[in-house]
Amino acid sequence: MKKQYTDAKLDMTPMIDVVFQLIIFFVVTAAMQSKAMESNVRMAMAPNGPVEEVKDPRTVTVDVIADGRIQIMKTTISEGQLLTILNNARKTSGQSTPVVIRGDLVTKHEAIKRVMDICGKAGLWKIRFAALKEKA
Amino acid sequence: MARTRKRPDSPAAELEMTPMIDVVFQLLIYFIVTTKPVDVITNLDVFRPAPDPNAPKDQKPPNLVRVGVFQDGYTVNDVRATPERLDEALAKVASIDAGQTIMITVSAVSDHGQLVEALNLCAKNGLKSLSVVSASN
Repeated sequence: MKKQYTDAKLDMTPMIDVVFQLIIFFVVTAAMQSKAMESNVRMAMAPNGPVEEVKDPRTVTVDVIADGRIQIMKTTISEGQLLTILNNARKTSGQSTPVVIRGDLVTKHEAIKRVMDICGKAGLWKIRFAALKEKA
Repeated sequence: MARTRKRPDSPAAELEMTPMIDVVFQLLIYFIVTTKPVDVITNLDVFRPAPDPNAPKDQKPPNLVRVGVFQDGYTVNDVRATPERLDEALAKVASIDAGQTIMITVSAVSDHGQLVEALNLCAKNGLKSLSVVSASN
């Protein structure tokens, strides 16, 4: 009877297979989520848009959600606050500070225009629209 | 018969898995560290011309391709166009002069996605000189 148990080898292969699958799954999803899911904005697709090789660390990212509210890092701010933030950005890092506007697919242009006008008022001229290159 | 009952000579040929797992883990970590995640976000440059206070109101710059972005579609030089038609028109412009300025006039009530689509088509055709103007209606 006892001899049976001494021979019982644990087969590691399926466990390793599963762990590998999990590691790969988490690595891939984490990398994508950090990019696409960090805002409340569903961005439009622009598969032909240029790839940004070097990211400017000064970049200010402004989200404009579907109903036109302005958000920075998921916090809704007023137009006055945005102007203050952009003014500070200009003072600390210069007029060429890039502003990336992440507008929702269905945001009316009116709201985007307001943000662009505030950028202009703050003296920042380097404006870009963020879009998705591929489905995340 | 003894012959048929004979077992294989090396029944317990165990494969040592540990070194293989070590190597595979090393490879996996190497690839995870070295691969750069695909950049799913692209940035489309826009240039907004500042209004010139001295310019006459109804002055039209001569050498411009005008693209209109509206809630229900596009126009190219005031002629209605589908996205496919806009793409063709921009390709034609780019084949003549890729440095040609495209003036994109955007209706205030149009969706932002419409404008991004227009900018996407410009980027597709290699047109870099874009100016985005917001219309008041």
